[in-house]
Amino acid sequence: MGRLIKGLLTKGLALSISDLRVSAPRGRVLLSIPALEVPAGALVGIEGPSGAGKSTLLYALAGLLEAEGHIRWGAEDLLSLGAEKRARFRARSIGMIFQDFLLFEELNAGDNAALSALFRPRCDRAALRAQAAERLAFLGLGGDISNRPVSSFSGGERQRVAIARAMASEAPVLLADEPTASLDRAAADRLIDDLVTLARASGTTLIVVSHDTALISRMDRVLTIRDGGLAGDRKAAA
Amino acid sequence: MSALWNGLSALTQDIVMTLLLLLPALIVGGIVLRGFAPWPLVRAILWRFRVASALFVLLIAISVGMGIGLLAQERGLRHGTAQAADKFDLIVSAPGSEISVMMAAVFLQPTDMPLLDGETYAEVAGHESVSIAAPLAFGDSYGTAPVIGTTAAFARHLAEDRIEGRMWETPHEALVGTLVPLAIGDEFTPAHGHGDAAEEHAHDGAHLEVVGRLAASGTPWDRAILLPVETIWEVHGLGNGHAPERADQLGPPFDAAYFPGTPAIVVRSEALWANYALRSAFTRDRETMAFFPGTVLAQLYRVLGDIRQIMSLMALVTQMLVASAVLLGLFILSRLFHRQIALLRALGAPARFVFAVVWSFGAALLLTGSALGLLTGVGAASLLSKLVTARTDVLVTAPLGWSELHVLAGFVSATLLLSLVPAAFILRQPVVPSLRA
Repeated sequence: MGRLIKGLLTKGLALSISDLRVSAPRGRVLLSIPALEVPAGALVGIEGPSGAGKSTLLYALAGLLEAEGHIRWGAEDLLSLGAEKRARFRARSIGMIFQDFLLFEELNAGDNAALSALFRPRCDRAALRAQAAERLAFLGLGGDISNRPVSSFSGGERQRVAIARAMASEAPVLLADEPTASLDRAAADRLIDDLVTLARASGTTLIVVSHDTALISRMDRVLTIRDGGLAGDRKAAA
Repeated sequence: MSALWNGLSALTQDIVMTLLLLLPALIVGGIVLRGFAPWPLVRAILWRFRVASALFVLLIAISVGMGIGLLAQERGLRHGTAQAADKFDLIVSAPGSEISVMMAAVFLQPTDMPLLDGETYAEVAGHESVSIAAPLAFGDSYGTAPVIGTTAAFARHLAEDRIEGRMWETPHEALVGTLVPLAIGDEFTPAHGHGDAAEEHAHDGAHLEVVGRLAASGTPWDRAILLPVETIWEVHGLGNGHAPERADQLGPPFDAAYFPGTPAIVVRSEALWANYALRSAFTRDRETMAFFPGTVLAQLYRVLGDIRQIMSLMALVTQMLVASAVLLGLFILSRLFHRQIALLRALGAPARFVFAVVWSFGAALLLTGSALGLLTGVGAASLLSKLVTARTDVLVTAPLGWSELHVLAGFVSATLLLSLVPAAFILRQPVVPSLRA
């Protein structure tokens, strides 16, 4: 793997949550987690019924929601940072994957994967583009394919572009929200293989919200969220 | 500061003014875009909303083009008419409407006018300050060309002595303006009257030969045929203005007793001050009227100036309305790409980058529309100028001027500054609902 993707040995960040509370604007508590520890490099699945607060947890972990308490990634307490510092932290440390890919349809695969180069310091841009190209190549979208607009891609290919985008900046944390929900079974299986392989190879901390048992079963650990609280914490069935 | 500004050449002042007007946009652009390269995303968004974007660009181009075209055309018209009147220092005629006389004498628009008699002409021509006193005789035509009787001295003055061929030497010779479709050596017979009312065979006995072509003057006189005034009088059976013993003479002095009358005398003196003295001398109640065509035009421009200001204001209001519509459109379009904006935020893009993307999108529409508007305005002004020139023979050219560039620079700066508003608004949109949408 190291031969395939040079420089992929990213060390993941550990997660430490304490007294996390996310509330709706009118005060209703959407999510409350008193304590949660995830070691660096762990693969964690989050399951639970719709509306339970899984995605809320994921977006809170990315610093995209206002919340009370503490979300520590490594030594950084995300909730103590202002909006711009959180954005900087995300750019540096968190890759995100979404259910419906969220790609710029008019750009080619290479430009989508290297999207964050557009707002990185000039000196980082070339390296980030090169890393994005390597990720795409590993995911089977290298060479001429990377120059094709993603509008011509299948769902599976699009999601692989999204993975390459999330991992292009060697972020130590990868957050995925239902990454296989828009894919057929075969495409989903291939994507799960790619995602898990890449995360393990790089040592990335991967947290996935999913209803897909095939994906959840590949995680080290599975959290169950119900009614805005942590209802279960188990090791995944092999 | 004022002295420094006044010490600059007009060109430098115009350049500095344009730069000053553009400065707010340049500063804002520099600050917003510093350190970022949002163009691939801006191109992608423009392409995604290409129909709406093209429509916005078209709206801006039309409004900017209208403003620029109107300004350029108005200036061109003013310049053209002023140039047409340039050779007519002073006109003496019977009392009446100065505008009607000016339209007849300078712009060759057919008008019925009372005549000045020979004694008046002799008094004008004999004034010590007068170097040219040219009687004009209107009323005939050849095709679309008016046939005008005058003196050789005035014909030379009109063409600034640039005559291809030669000056007439007999009553049967004529000069043609540069646009008259007759060549040197061609013969023709003038018709009595103009247009549909012209009597083609009224002067069948008059066979005239073209012996010279006047250089282009950019005035309606370019389409005129000039004859010795005596010829016009002769073909109308009015004698030739000279006593029988001097019947072969061409040009002044005329004999007051045999002078058939003239609707207008074009007067030129060598000294500017003398023109004022002449105007004063020949402005007499119920007898004669003397006026400077340039002054009459200036009065017209003053009246038109108010209209121009109203038109400019209307053009500006139109531009601002279109700019407002575009900004409103930006708000609406931004709702369409709010997921992409939220994605950028989720990926860690700084707020300033997202701001730069949205602002650049608006700026691209505004700049493209303004550039197209500039071309549209120049094209429209050029087309209108050709139409006006073709209809009036007054050479109207409406090249792009600095005032149009100033208006454009002001418009660009104002709208680029206004584009900050929707860009700032979009930043306030919550990220997570957009990602989940």
